[in-house]
Amino acid sequence: MRYSHASKAVVLSAALALTLSACGGGSTDSAGGEGDGSYVVTANTTEPQNGLLPANTNEVGGGRVMDLLFTGLVSYDAKGAPVNELAESIETTDSQNYTIKIKSGETFSDGSPVTAASFVDAWNFGAAAKNAQLNSYFFESIKGFDKVNAEKSTEDKMEGLKVVDDTTFTVELSQPESDFPLRLGYTAFMPLPEAAFEDPKAFGEKPVGNGPYKLTEWNHDVNLKMDVNENYDGPRKAANGGIDFKVYQSTDSAYQDLVSGNLDVLDQIPPSQLASYQSDLGDRSVNSPYAGNATITIPGYLDHFKQDEEGNLRRAAISRAIDRQLIIDKVYQGGKVIAKDFTAPVIEGYDDSLPGSEVLAFDADEAKKLWAEADKISEWDSGDEFSIGYNVDGAGNKEYVEAVVNQLKNNLGINATAKSFSSFKELRAKVTSYTMTGGFRTGWQADYPSLYNFLGPLFGTGAGSNDGKYSSKEFDDALAKGLAATDAAEGAKIFNQAQEILFKDLPAIPLWYQAVQGGWSENVSNVEFGWNGVPIYNEITGK
Amino acid sequence: MLSFMLKRIAQLIPVFIGATLLVYFLVFATPGNPIDALSGGKPMSDATRSALEAQYNLDKPFWVQYGLYLKNLVTFDLGTSFSGQEVSALLGRAFPVTARLAILALLIEGVFGVIFGVIAGMRKGKWFDSTILVASLIVIAVPTFVLGFVLQFVIGVKLEWVKPTVSGAATWGELFLPALVLGLVSLAYVVRLTRTSVIENKSADFVRTATAKGLSRNRVVSVHILRNSLIPVVTFLGADLGSLMGGAIVTEGIFNVPGVGHLLYQAIQKGETPTVVAIVGVLVIIFVVANLIVDMLYALLDPRIRYA
Repeated sequence: MRYSHASKAVVLSAALALTLSACGGGSTDSAGGEGDGSYVVTANTTEPQNGLLPANTNEVGGGRVMDLLFTGLVSYDAKGAPVNELAESIETTDSQNYTIKIKSGETFSDGSPVTAASFVDAWNFGAAAKNAQLNSYFFESIKGFDKVNAEKSTEDKMEGLKVVDDTTFTVELSQPESDFPLRLGYTAFMPLPEAAFEDPKAFGEKPVGNGPYKLTEWNHDVNLKMDVNENYDGPRKAANGGIDFKVYQSTDSAYQDLVSGNLDVLDQIPPSQLASYQSDLGDRSVNSPYAGNATITIPGYLDHFKQDEEGNLRRAAISRAIDRQLIIDKVYQGGKVIAKDFTAPVIEGYDDSLPGSEVLAFDADEAKKLWAEADKISEWDSGDEFSIGYNVDGAGNKEYVEAVVNQLKNNLGINATAKSFSSFKELRAKVTSYTMTGGFRTGWQADYPSLYNFLGPLFGTGAGSNDGKYSSKEFDDALAKGLAATDAAEGAKIFNQAQEILFKDLPAIPLWYQAVQGGWSENVSNVEFGWNGVPIYNEITGK
Repeated sequence: MLSFMLKRIAQLIPVFIGATLLVYFLVFATPGNPIDALSGGKPMSDATRSALEAQYNLDKPFWVQYGLYLKNLVTFDLGTSFSGQEVSALLGRAFPVTARLAILALLIEGVFGVIFGVIAGMRKGKWFDSTILVASLIVIAVPTFVLGFVLQFVIGVKLEWVKPTVSGAATWGELFLPALVLGLVSLAYVVRLTRTSVIENKSADFVRTATAKGLSRNRVVSVHILRNSLIPVVTFLGADLGSLMGGAIVTEGIFNVPGVGHLLYQAIQKGETPTVVAIVGVLVIIFVVANLIVDMLYALLDPRIRYA
């Protein structure tokens, strides 16, 4: 919470959270054809919050740099489909045991070889509790994670990872998970050269990677300069002469630099300019959905909102009392997309008309009816208050939460209030200790493009980000079944069926999908934004 | 004089310890856990969480944390930020930038403030005086961020005389516009303060005497009126240096100046105690030293004041 600090994550979701990778792929030929291939593109960023180690980079500022600096087994194209990078093959017969072969002869930018051990060692390092890496939870499916990530554990070798030879290693998971190969493009799964483990802290300051770019300069709080890595020969080859990331404290100042031609690419239009950026920039701007959403969680431990018939009726009533489109138009100038499920439209397998999704449609009469039905089970005292918590350090939070609260007041006739928290960390501390006294704003940005990533970590029983303490055996079983499916399309179908259970219980109330509003200068062309809302930097060319 | 200075410098020690203790406690007492900001709402296992807490001493009680901080401070170790950088390195980068910004702002408000103030005071009631009074009132009334955005837009984006934001080097030239914005409100105060003071002294006995002695008007104004009028102005400027350095957050944000304000804001958001305490500690020293310099200047400006 790039509070950002006005990081995109702070602004848009519950999370300073972040994600990942940009990664394009595929269309380098179209990029290389015209335009100036030696032009150095300037782009905005925030100061990376941690040293640049794959398993320790969990926010946008560092994430976008890591994705250019490293390349893993796969990367994602603009639509979020995985494309093989270093992987020659990823094979499994049971979704639990994987044999991974990597291309031979690949090197890091310092010349050291990329071998099977570069992956295994990096993953083991990321998983071990003693290394305190923020992305360690990404390795939790690998067998042996619970041993290396136990309190005070000094072990750092997971039994599920085995090097077979220089270019082959095997992965054993503790249960079948069909979307494991999809995750492998996330920053946490990048390989590391041996030198990294000698002094991880020093390496994090001067990382050596194997991606399309290398980091040549990092002037803290000022800029990060990236040069083209000539050794890289994958689908994301650079079509420009390098990227100069400039650190901005606010997107407002970045926007002024953009319109005056001092910045080439801006990946977030400041809220103050949302009404006018399209007329300022014309066809040099974009407004497109990416893999993130905003929700309101009403935890099942609240009176009247238990996970029972009354609670479900009340949550459904609240959901139907919110006129999402009106808020999108008034607060965001149309810069969001109304939600129709719990995931996001850019994800493979997304379905905008799942049975039960009508509970997300605005209908004030129906809302009143549902609320009245709940009252028959247990009376809502007119003195009772329903609050929605938000953190004031994220731009726009106050505006939309207050709008929701006003609609609840008007459409349900209840005493609803917006409850402010001074900071993201204060709100999260209350949420994660399950001591909230009302609903609260949440949101999710996908780490990797998969339906499961929007469901498992948030609504699985006991899952790490299950803020509402939701628990449904039926839903858990559906998830397990979806993960065990060996066919991706079949898996997606089962995950969508699992969503039908969520529509009934509404552990979170989806509001809208996030969209990225970005712009670029007259100096560059071929600017496209990826599935995760990050510009595909390697394809940008000078004019 | 020397013993007076030494006494004042010795006072720094308790002030410094008191201030760091207070700030350390305030950051400690802010609700929420810094680890939640680090994880960004994403899942984190208990084992990883406790490893992180141990790494930053967050698992220890307040007095132990503060004690460890002081212990390291004695060896000039200011601790590390969550991003793994030495806090001393962070300060080493940010403070020179903010110092340049604040000194430039102080020069602008001091030089222009006194000149305009003297002219307005000497021509009380004339058009120049009235214009200055109205203009300074407007500047005081308009919030800094509005002034900043307007000047940035007009001079940086429309006229393109300068770039809208400051580069990483933050040179004196680049900092002129931000310094003007930062110093403008104080400039208005300095003008008004000087003007009032000049008007008061203009009719003082010693000025009448000087004029009666047949001294030139220039000498009367610069030596007799101005020198005596400067005491309140110098007091104001001295106190203002500290506020300019600590209060540049808004201006630094508008012009993207990589200075102390942004660093402090980020550190508070993240609950990064060592960084917050170090910045405030340095600001406290600057305040105290600036006040000492002001006291020294009194003696120069008014011969009746002597320090023993």
